[in-house]
Amino acid sequence: MAGSHSDPLAHPEVRMGGAMRYIAGFISTVALMGAALIVTLRHDMGYETYVEVVGGLAALALLSQAVLFYGLDISRAQIWKSVSLILTVPLFIITVGLTVWMFQSLDQRTMVMPNSAAAATQPTLLQ
Amino acid sequence: MAHQAAPDANTRLFAPGFAGHSQISARTLGFWLYMLSDALLFTALFAAYAVLDTPMNAAGGPIASQIVNPVEGFWQTIAILGSVTAYSLATVALKTGNRAGVMLGIVAAMVLAVVFLGFGFNDLATLTAQGNGMDRSGYLSAYFVLILTHAIHMLFGLIWMLVMLVQIPRDGFNEMVVARLLNLRMFWQFQATVWVCVYIYVYMIGA
Repeated sequence: MAGSHSDPLAHPEVRMGGAMRYIAGFISTVALMGAALIVTLRHDMGYETYVEVVGGLAALALLSQAVLFYGLDISRAQIWKSVSLILTVPLFIITVGLTVWMFQSLDQRTMVMPNSAAAATQPTLLQ
Repeated sequence: MAHQAAPDANTRLFAPGFAGHSQISARTLGFWLYMLSDALLFTALFAAYAVLDTPMNAAGGPIASQIVNPVEGFWQTIAILGSVTAYSLATVALKTGNRAGVMLGIVAAMVLAVVFLGFGFNDLATLTAQGNGMDRSGYLSAYFVLILTHAIHMLFGLIWMLVMLVQIPRDGFNEMVVARLLNLRMFWQFQATVWVCVYIYVYMIGA
């Protein structure tokens, strides 16, 4: 953690802000979401490939936000935020991943679809 | 090595005025940890959405591809990212102690946030008017709860901004006000992060 400052405006977390960085964060995230939108509207990929592509674009957008908006790095002022985020990200993945995996297994073994035609037109992560 | 007293009942976690402690850093780290736990709340909602996003759980009602519009969602994405950028630029003005600049950035962020929320509430109101409210099916319950939880966070952020618009002219940029402005910056940026996940997962993969 950074040391004490008599002038709050001299604090490193105040000083770290930069107009160019924030504008770059806005442009990069909008561009990545725009690319994902184009991929979605074209509908020319298989479902799994499509999920991988838009998932990759989302991951890049989140990384862009972490660096350009939150300003996460290994500096003395930011190191503990970066470390706590890195330690928490696996919890996000485990929570969603295990839940989907468990219910996918349940879905395949015990649940009977009342309308299989509807299922075929709307693939989801569970299927 | 300097002698350190053993912790006891009089031990204080933070000591105001002690040169080795920064009240602002302590507050922002504490708020960051709160945000990570808040992110786990959203993770649970995403997990529930993933489980309920099946035709069976739609119970004969609409599924994702029938209620979401990725193009409209893109305009929402621009609005919320614009709002976050406006607030972030307000904190750039904070570096020079520019009160007018900070307050202008906050007002711009609020206007764009209202635009974002307008799109969202209009969608939910339209669905409800069509008889597809949150009690129509398990899928719609998950959809409404996910969207509304994010919207409630945004509303709380708007209230926080209104409070800051009062405190900045009244108290100036003292340590507490600066810490609140920095925490609000993280909180607001967090709303855009959650929205990116919602947009990709619900509006795109669902479409």
